[in-house]
Formats: sequence, C-alpha cells, structure tokens
Amino acid sequence: MYSFEFARPGSIDEAVKALKAEEAQALGGGQTLIPTLKQRLAAPSVLVSLSGIAEMQGVCVSDDNALCVGGATPHAVVAKEAAKSFPALAGMASRIGDPAVRNRGTVGGSLANNDPSACYPAAALGTGATIKTNAREIAADDYFQGMFATALDEGEIITEVRFPIPEKANYQKFVQPASRFALVGVFVAKYASGVRVAVTGASEDGVFRWTEAEEALSKDFSAKAVEGLKVSADGMISDLHGPAAYRAHLVGVLTGRAVNAAA
Amino acid sequence: MPDTVQFPMRFGSSSGQPVTRRDGIAKVTGTATFAADNAPANLLHAVYVSAAIARGTVTSMDVEAAKAHPGVVEVYTPDNVPPLPGDASSKPFMFAFRFEPLQDNSVRYANQPIALVLAETLEAATEGARLLAPKYAAETPRIGLDGNAPFEIEGGGFGLPGTTVHGDVEAGHAAAEASVDLTYETPEQYHNAMEMHAVVAEWDGDHVVLDVPSQALVMSCAAYGYYLGIPAENVTIRCPYLGGGFGSKAALNGPTVLAIHAARLIGRPVKLMLKRDQMFGPVFHRGATRQRVRIGVDGDARMTVLDHESLAVTSSFDDFIESAANASQGIYSAGALRSAHKGVRADVGTPGPMRAPGEASGSAALESAMDEMAEKAGIDPLEFRLRNYAETEPGSGKPYSSKALRECYAQGAERFGWSRRPLAPRQMTDENGMLVGWGMGTALFAAPMFAAKARAVIRPDGTGLVETAAADMGQGAWTVLAQIAADSLGLPLDMVEFRSGASTLPDAGVAGGSGHTATAGGALHAAGQDVVARLAEMATADPDSPLHGAGNATIVARDGRFWVEGDDSRSDGFADILARNGGAEIEGTGGANRPQEAGAAHAMYAHGAVFAEVKVDPDLFQTRVTRLVGAFAAGRIINPKLAESQLMGGMIWGLSFALHEEAKYDMRTGRVVNGDLAGYHVPVNADVKGLEVITVHEDDPYVNPLGIKGVGEIGITGTVGAIANAIWHATGTRIRRFPVRIEDLLAGSR
Repeated sequence: MYSFEFARPGSIDEAVKALKAEEAQALGGGQTLIPTLKQRLAAPSVLVSLSGIAEMQGVCVSDDNALCVGGATPHAVVAKEAAKSFPALAGMASRIGDPAVRNRGTVGGSLANNDPSACYPAAALGTGATIKTNAREIAADDYFQGMFATALDEGEIITEVRFPIPEKANYQKFVQPASRFALVGVFVAKYASGVRVAVTGASEDGVFRWTEAEEALSKDFSAKAVEGLKVSADGMISDLHGPAAYRAHLVGVLTGRAVNAAA
Repeated sequence: MPDTVQFPMRFGSSSGQPVTRRDGIAKVTGTATFAADNAPANLLHAVYVSAAIARGTVTSMDVEAAKAHPGVVEVYTPDNVPPLPGDASSKPFMFAFRFEPLQDNSVRYANQPIALVLAETLEAATEGARLLAPKYAAETPRIGLDGNAPFEIEGGGFGLPGTTVHGDVEAGHAAAEASVDLTYETPEQYHNAMEMHAVVAEWDGDHVVLDVPSQALVMSCAAYGYYLGIPAENVTIRCPYLGGGFGSKAALNGPTVLAIHAARLIGRPVKLMLKRDQMFGPVFHRGATRQRVRIGVDGDARMTVLDHESLAVTSSFDDFIESAANASQGIYSAGALRSAHKGVRADVGTPGPMRAPGEASGSAALESAMDEMAEKAGIDPLEFRLRNYAETEPGSGKPYSSKALRECYAQGAERFGWSRRPLAPRQMTDENGMLVGWGMGTALFAAPMFAAKARAVIRPDGTGLVETAAADMGQGAWTVLAQIAADSLGLPLDMVEFRSGASTLPDAGVAGGSGHTATAGGALHAAGQDVVARLAEMATADPDSPLHGAGNATIVARDGRFWVEGDDSRSDGFADILARNGGAEIEGTGGANRPQEAGAAHAMYAHGAVFAEVKVDPDLFQTRVTRLVGAFAAGRIINPKLAESQLMGGMIWGLSFALHEEAKYDMRTGRVVNGDLAGYHVPVNADVKGLEVITVHEDDPYVNPLGIKGVGEIGITGTVGAIANAIWHATGTRIRRFPVRIEDLLAGSR
C-alpha cells in the first residue's frame, strides 16, 4: 500500500468538497478498494471515508412504497432492516460475501464500483431503482454502463438508493465458492406495471436486463413461461470458474428458480 | 482384575494395534519442526525470481536496483554464478532430473528460477527479487498434448515406460464379438503439499548440513554430493517431519540445490522456501495424458484383448512419462494385453512421480473403459470384472503372492449395497430431485520393496533403541515403524526409543512406491531379531540364568524378558542378563530387501475395490460424491488407524482427480493461471462425505517376512473411475476428460 491522507467528513457537503482534492478517492466499506490499495493497483492521495455521514446511513420505506437505503449503509443492516418490507432484497444482502464484507461493504460502494459479478447491481436494475447522488437522481436503466462503468461523474457520491418494492421478487445466485461473488445472479421482480429480470455475473458488459424473459413473465408469471427461453452464450464471461455456455445456461435455470421462489 | 475393560486390548503385540500417531501432539501444538522452521545464527534469506515466460531468454535485469535495496546482500544471476561442481544437465544417477543452476539466460518453462537474491530478511530478499524486474525475449510456448509432435519412447530407465505386449493383440481384436475404442484425457496436476519445498543450508568447510524435506534421506546425500562436488558422507540431512511429499520430495530439485550452492558461495547459512505459486514449475508435477483404451470381449463377456496406449507430456529437456498404460498390466485376465507409451515435449517443468504416478491416470481411463465395455456387453460392471478375474498375473502367468480381491469386491459391494443397483442409467433420484448414480472400479498397486538397513540396541536398563533414516511425510512412519521395532525386540512400545529422520542413521530406503513400511519395517524387524538372538545366546550360556541350557529355539521374548516357551517358571529379564554379563549394551543390525526367490516366482500387488455414489443436480449439473466405500487387501496391516487414514487419503486424491484438480495454462504465455490454492481446486471437508474404508484380511507369506504390502497410493486407483462411472449412471453422460467438468455435463445433456 502506498501512503495517503485520510479524511472522514461528517456531511455530504464536506465530502463533496474533500473529493475535489487532486487524486482524491471516496471510500465506502473498502471491501474492494482496500485490497486494491494493498496490491498497489491504485494510489490515491486522499481517501475520503463516507462512513461518518449520518444522513447516508439507514433504511426506511417511503410514502410511494420504495425502500430507501442510505448510500453508506452496510449490507448487514439492509439484511436486517428490510427483512419484512422487502425480503428479496434483504435475502440478497444477507448472502453477499462473508460477514466481514456484509458488515463493512455498503450499497453505495457496490453500485459505484459496479463489479460485473456483484449482487447489488442486479437488485438495482431488477427493481428499476433510483440512484440519488449529491447532484441528481439517476434511473438504474441509465446508470449501469458496462463492466465497472457507471453514469457517476468524478467526485459524485451515491447518497441514497430507492428500490421500488415489488409485489413479489426473488434473487437467485450461483455462488463462486471461494469469493462468494455471483458466478451468475438473477433478480426477478414483479410489479403491477410488469416484470423486471436483471442478470449479474454473466455478461462481459456487466449487469443487464433479460428482456425476453421480462416479456414472457409479464404475460405469465410462472417458471413455465421461461422454460423454453435461452440466452445466447455470445458475450458471456468465460473464466477459470465457468465458461460462457454454462453461464448462459445458468441464467435460464436461475430465472426459473427465482420465479418459483418469488415472494 | 480391573472391572473395566481397556481398549485397545493388547495381547502382547504392538503390531495390529490402532496406535494413535506418536507425533500427533507435536504436530497439532506446532512444536514439530519442519525444514523452514530452522534459523541458524547469521542466516540469510533467499528468494528466487520466477520466469514470467515459458520459452525464450532473459534479456536484462536491474541488478543494481536490487543490490541497492537495504538488506540485500547478494544477487545471483547467470553473470556471476560459478558453475556447480556437478553437471546439472547430466543424468548421473537413477533419480536425477535436469535443472537450471543459473548458467545461462534461457527460459525453458514458466516459474523457472532465473535469479536468486540473498538478504538479511525475507522481506528484503522479496523486494530485491521484485526490483530485478526482468525483461524477456519470449518465444511462443508449446503447451499441452497438441503443442508439439509426439515422439516414440525407448523404454527403460526411471520415467521411461516402453511398450509391453503379452499374447497376440491383433488376434485378440479380431476375436472380439463386441468392443469399445475410447479416448480419455487427464490434465496436468501439481503436488501442492502443505509444506512447500524448503531448505536451510549451513556449510562448514566442505561439509554441509541440510534441513530439507526428503523422502529418501540417505540416497539424497549422494545426489547432493554429486552436484556440490563433495562426498556423500560430507552431506548431513535432517528431516524429522515432512509436510507431505507425494513423490515430489523423493528427488532433488533445482531451487534447493541452487540455495545450497549460494550458501557456500556467500559463506553464510541460507534459507529458501518456495512460495505457493513457485510450486507450479520446478518441483515436479503429473504430466497430462491422452489415452486410448480398446477392449474386446467374446460372447460371454470375457476379454479377448486389452489394448492401452498413452501419450504423455514431458518437458522440452528431460523425460518423465506418466506410465499410464501400464495400469492395464497385472489386473484383468485378457487374451492379449498391450501397454504402449509415447511422449510429447512441452515448455513446462519436468513432470515427476506424483501420487501413484502412472497408476492413477491409467486407472482413471481403464476403469472408465471397463464400465463402458460392461454397459455394451449388457452386464453389471462388477460381474464383468469378476468374469475377467485374473487368477494368475496376466501375461507372465505367475501366481500372486496373495490376492484377496474377490473378498474386496464382496465386502465392498455388501457394505455399499451394490446389489440394489439398476443396470441402466438415470434410474435413481433422491428426495431433493438430485440424480443419483453408483459406480465402481478396481484398485491395484504393486507391492515393491527397496533395500534398507537398521540398528537395534538393548540398553543396560532393558529398554530398546532402534535407528533407521525413515521419512515421515504424515503417513505415520514414526508410529508404525516403532510398533514393528517394539515387537521385534519383545518390548512394549513405550520402552523403545526410535531414532529416525536423519541421514546419519542407517539407510531406510526411499519413502515412495508405497513400500516404506515393508522396507524400513523389514530392516528394523531384522535388526531387532538380531539383537534379541544375541541376548538370548548370552542368557542361555549364562550359568546364573534360569534359561541356562535352554535351546535358543525354545526361547521367546516378551515384555522385556525371555521365557522358555510353555514353561512360565523359567524367565529372565533383559536388564538382568546384561547386568550379569558385563553391564554393557548389546547391539544388532539388520537389513531388508525383497526375498529374491519369492520375488521372482510371484506377482506382488495390493488390491482393492472402490464403490462410489454421486448426486448430480439435473439442472445445474453440480456433482457431489455422497458416498465412497473402498475395500482393500494389502497384506498385514500394522496399524489399522493409520492404514485406514492413508487409504482414505488416497480415495480423496481420487475424488480430487475425478472432480477437482487441473492446472490451467495461459496458452499465450505458458504460465499456470491458477497457481494458488484458490484457483487450483482440491477437495475440502465439505466435498468429502460418507467415506468408508474396509481392510480385508490377507496373509502373504512371500512378499516379505512381515507380510506387509503398501497402502500409500492404492486408494487413488479405482476411485477416479468409480466416480466417473457413477456420474454416467446418474446422468447417462459419459465424460472422458478429467476432471469431470460441469460444462461437459451440460454439453452432454443436450
């Protein structure tokens, strides 16, 4: 690890200001960033921790029935607080990584990093969430822009994420056992307006919506409706842990399982 | 009489008792010292730079930057390393493998040592090695079975299996009414013992003391002596424990010799321990194979031919061909038998002996092919094997010294419930909807013996001391050999001191080939008998002994005393005899080797049968081995607890081979991309369920005086095929590429 300055502002405004320093980098739970620093793959001059900002902490349900999660809220808190109001999201949060990751890692950090195998991007895209930053609100459909790429500007901070609470939802994840990342994860959410299906871990372009499945499930919300559907292996990730064809296969199977388990 | 029964019950013999390993407490409390735990005064730490290419040359290194780093004492590159006295490119002895003593800038495989840094601390050496930042001129590496043209092998010598033919193979093919012709592939596998290779070398003039893990302590002294230009007796190896050997610590390796050389050049003790990723290159592995197995049967499903060919990867500069096709020798009765080998040179480190070298890969293919032949013949796979049971060794016609394989089949099948197995695949599911399949395979491993010596002493106080330079890799030599020695001396185990693990002791032979207990145990037994005979002679010649005049033949040693057989009124204690006869200790020696006549007249193998149950997710194809039952006949079992542990370990290797282990190469650079224990998969506890071992009684009067075969490696044979066959039985898909991959099962389902 290279040496750096450390700042822990107490408000969003102070954080935004601190991030204006040259080579400044926001720090959420540090579950990706700290190992990256340890391997000397990044050398920020200032780390701006977001953990001391009270207004970015906590979980609540809004009047328009969305689960509002502060950007610096750890996964373990979401797992606990959302268990009744949005069990699918709480279940997803409870299976991220290991206890250390869940107690340190944050929703804002996960979405800002947009790892192609992370779980939260599937939940955000699968619910059509709104990503609130210090500057604006971004719809999930506009937010994810490929592997590790997002609509965030330099120095922009995710302050809150609003997940519309569906009638039914479920997240299915095929765990890569060493890292606990999703080899493939599928988030299925049923709304009055239709069904959304978001897939993480599979595509070389990061999280994506499986629109064919969405159309089929919007007509008939049953595993049978997606039984015959297949995702092409073209553009799927192929690595040590699984080839593209297997990932494509997993998308279909996990979508069916998510529909069956949706609650 | 105590009113409680003590277990284990003992009736005067240590052998046969499930004694808990004597080094167990030292191991679990961390007081057992392994090679790299040693730190003599004035020690320097060595770190070598691993080549990041697999073929080409090193064009530059920043030696100045490395030398300038605080704590770095010396940087050795081809520019400044004087040659080793012994030629590292020669093959001066049987287990010699060529290696790179930094004499030129060529790179022959990834992770080859290309420079060595010595520093006051491990951290400084590590940083110094990093600062060297080598630059290369890389050439396209040749990797894998198709990376180069195959070459013919002239058989003979270690690692060079030739072609073996018995009977008329063409006639056997022609006579077949049904046949299979199948091709299997096995991957490159790397040992990955928990203890990485390590050495601490301390010179004193032209003598050197080495703390180094070794499976062959005395033999290795001569080998080190050759490269270092000193007599074998100037080399002392201390190796009380190894953290796993698996064959990779039976022969010398380049990095270790280089570190010893460096210690001499710098004039200070040097410690080198490989990093985990450096285990993937210069310290042996199992070469990949592609095997073609052809079996023909007549109308009664009796084999007319068993024809096994294997192509195996070796390095570009040395020969170690996985002798896979030889697995078809000695096992099934067939009208004609052929085992043939070819090699292919790749830009990888030289393969070497690894966990049943040859037998493991060969058995995987053979037992899978046997299952397919049984399927084609329409009979149960176990019945097919019984129908082709070899009553004498196929080819040679020699009788087996002992062979309780029928009993293994019967007891294993009974325990497993094999008789309830439906013949067709995809017939069984469990309560969770998982596909369930059952498969089996035959296990076979030769029962070799090597030469060994031992020394035994009875001390004035009546206790015993025995010595031989055995190697405990975790298999239990410290315990089992002491049990044998105690019996040979007529002493309880706790009255015998066992000295081992140092090359200054009598040669115990190599701990390899599953022959260490038979070999080193045989020598200890002979030495014990020798000293006991001398002491008995002293007693019977002693007018003051109650045994005076009793013939030697009627005397038995038990619990530190001699007794006249059948006359409990006449006995004399060891200590008493020595006290009356000058009071000095008495010494005997002994040796062991295969009894020549019996060896020539008999075929000698350990046998077994392995039964596997797998469960496969019908949608996702995740495969779990849920039960493994192995029944083995391996002669006399000295310590059932440790023998069963070894057999279990072998079966877990088999599971690992079937489902987990595979080194993956980046074909562009020739580097192993999963050179760590996160990416190189081995089974963990959660992967191993329902593991059962049955040891089947077997008396063998020929194999050696103690009747011992080996249990070290046989467990891996049979198991790989049994699991693959169970996967077919569950899914209906035959996978002929190991490890069985989830994506291959997916492809097979379509």
